[in-house]
Amino acid sequence: MTELADMQQSVARDPRDRGGPRQPLLSVRGLVKHFPVGKNLFGRSRNVVRAVDDVDFELLKGETLGIVGESGCGKSTTARLLMNLIEPDAGEIIFDGEVVGHDISLRDYRRQVQMVFQDSYASLNPRLTIEDSIAFAPRVHGVSRREAVGRAHDLLARVGLEPHRFAGRYPHELSGGQRQRVNIARALALEPRLVILDEAVSALDKSVEAQVLNLLLDLKDAFGLTYIFISHDLNVVRFISDRVMVMYLGKVAEIGDAESVFAQPQHPYSAALLASMPAMDPDARTEQAPLYGDPPNPIDPPPGCRFHTRCRFADPVCSQTVPSLTPAGETQQVACLMRQYGSGHSCIGLEGRA
Amino acid sequence: MTGTAAPIIDIRDLTVTFIGGRKPVHAVNGVTLAIQPAEVLALLGESGSGKSVTLRSLLGLHPPGRTSIGGSIQVAGKDVMALSGRALADFRGKTVSMIFQEPLLALDPVYTVGAQIAETIQRHEAVSRVKARARALALLQKVRIPSPERRLDAFPHEMSGGMRQRAMIALALACNPQILLADEPTTALDATVQIQILLLLRELQRELGLTVILVTHDIGVAVEVADRVAVMYAGRIVETGPVREIIRNPRHPYTQGLLASRAHGAMTGSRLDAIPGSPPDLADLPPGCSFAPRCKHAKATCVETAPEIRSVTADHWMRCMLDAEAAE
Ligand SMILES: Nc1ncnc2c1ncn2[C@@H]1O[C@H](COP(=O)(O)OP(=O)(O)OP(=O)(O)O)[C@@H](O)[C@H]1O
Ligand SMILES: Nc1ncnc2c1ncn2[C@@H]1O[C@H](COP(=O)(O)OP(=O)(O)OP(=O)(O)O)[C@@H](O)[C@H]1O
Ligand code: SF4
Ligand SMILES: [Mg+2]
Ligand SMILES: [Mg+2]
Repeated sequence: MTELADMQQSVARDPRDRGGPRQPLLSVRGLVKHFPVGKNLFGRSRNVVRAVDDVDFELLKGETLGIVGESGCGKSTTARLLMNLIEPDAGEIIFDGEVVGHDISLRDYRRQVQMVFQDSYASLNPRLTIEDSIAFAPRVHGVSRREAVGRAHDLLARVGLEPHRFAGRYPHELSGGQRQRVNIARALALEPRLVILDEAVSALDKSVEAQVLNLLLDLKDAFGLTYIFISHDLNVVRFISDRVMVMYLGKVAEIGDAESVFAQPQHPYSAALLASMPAMDPDARTEQAPLYGDPPNPIDPPPGCRFHTRCRFADPVCSQTVPSLTPAGETQQVACLMRQYGSGHSCIGLEGRA
Repeated sequence: MTGTAAPIIDIRDLTVTFIGGRKPVHAVNGVTLAIQPAEVLALLGESGSGKSVTLRSLLGLHPPGRTSIGGSIQVAGKDVMALSGRALADFRGKTVSMIFQEPLLALDPVYTVGAQIAETIQRHEAVSRVKARARALALLQKVRIPSPERRLDAFPHEMSGGMRQRAMIALALACNPQILLADEPTTALDATVQIQILLLLRELQRELGLTVILVTHDIGVAVEVADRVAVMYAGRIVETGPVREIIRNPRHPYTQGLLASRAHGAMTGSRLDAIPGSPPDLADLPPGCSFAPRCKHAKATCVETAPEIRSVTADHWMRCMLDAEAAE
């Protein structure tokens, strides 16, 4: 905790900081994104994928928020909404106290939020040298070529690529780990405050992944960054995150301190997800799969609690009432009717059992 | 599982080089491996270390013109490199069969799952269509596909990811093979589905007495299903031993480095003990130990000559110059 306070202190010295260390860097309210799929006779879409469906969360200054959940639960869509790469159907994003698009212009917001994707190759222009790739965005934002290139060289050195060896190379002349370092350097070129890492280390070899994770930790300290870290590797998320958000079919199931969520998940889905991690002890192998079957289709998600079709605590009320995020434990919030007083769930009061 | 019985798979000094490109790619550089019947071996290694190429060699799947293969492979008493034509076709499916990461590559999109399984059975055995279909149904039950009667007539794209993986396993088991090769069978799956498939593989292995080679880059997956682990690096097996030994008492500096650099169990926010550098270029391998450029214990001899196999215990060996004792 004191460490986080220290971190927030150093962030508070950032001249761009408006609301002080206690004000969340991001407050996300009621974020919704539905994708129409399939057309009917009248050219109207019959179905929608409820990719992100009424998502609320706060991102604290200087923290790393991990986002986990199964494929299709809306992690990348959330990231793309935060990056403003796609338009939300509803909801607002408040950046350091300022409503994005009202109090702070999209352009000013966009420069402070950068993203690194999984595919290190596809995200670099094959015809630009890596020095030019990194200098590109600052140039667009009016930085002189000399200064932009100088900054690119500094950043290359920061990410562990000696500028005199690497600056003039093209993406295909680099290994996957080196390319991902370039992507990270490029994301930092506009001096963002928030970096969203969407499966940024997932394509890397295990031995190289550890190097890049170390690099991310160093850069966060050096530049006072805040991270959103999306990954399907739960071990990595546990290692790097201060807090974790668990998503299920477009909704937040649980959010809280990483250690608490991993040690004592409060939502039945988080508990099942974490229990599905392969054992690391040959004498304590998993004996029974925590869940059966695949996640349901997000096109037509189950009514009520979206997890009720797979939840072993499901009650009749679970298919009727949509649970809302409720405090549970010291730092957690969970969307489960078992934890919501007055919901009518028969297990109320027996919580902590998940 | 020590070398008591005759091994069902006996690979000696296997080399696979892809010619055809600008420079020859040395994908497999002297793999030696013996696997006992009903043993489950995990082949663990990073991308490009030669896991899939080794597996494909066991099925005789390399195009002869563009590949040069050395060494020997004996599987269930057969010399795989000498097989061809009908014998090779029978060997694939009846003796050894394979499942992949992506079931859509193994399953034909235009035929129903039931038809594909029945057709595979009929290709290898003289049974009636009715009988073949009944066996297909039994297989779908065996891999625990819900409402199997209905799924017999489903097309692959109508199934969810986990269900398709089950269907592919059913297809692989259609002709009662002795050996199942599984190339990253759960890598593309979600965590809650992955564990179901791993447990299914474990159960089927026990029930059918299958010999299994499972390729993975995830130590956790190896721990869940394997009796023994073989760690690959740059086309060689650098260490192999019982899974407990490899996890608790790794001896090769690369295995030690891999285990030490894991985020699993590391203190949140502490630095990881990463292995520096990256794997070598297979078109330009160093003459000595391929791990030497990244190894903190490397000596001059490591750079000059490739290390021989050294035993740690009876069923645990590694390829490293260091004394088994010194590599701590
Ligand atoms: N442009 C789009 N058009 C239609 N559907 C989309 C679009 N983008 C995403 N989706 C759907 O929205 C849902 C959420 O997708 P998203 O990419 O956010 O998932 P994710 O959690 O990032 O999954 P993964 O772990 O596989 O990356 C999925 O069902 C996906 O198919
Ligand atoms: N047909 C081919 N022609 C040329 N090179 C090949 C061919 N098949 C594989 N290789 C090369 O051989 C090396 C070993 O490949 P292999 O597919 O066995 O790796 P792997 O250990 O399975 O890796 P991954 O975890 O990425 O699947 C790689 O460098 C690969 O590029
Ligand atoms: S609301 Fe009901 S179905 Fe949903 S997680 Fe809680 S108990 Fe399970
Ligand atoms: Mg995604
Ligand atoms: Mg492979």
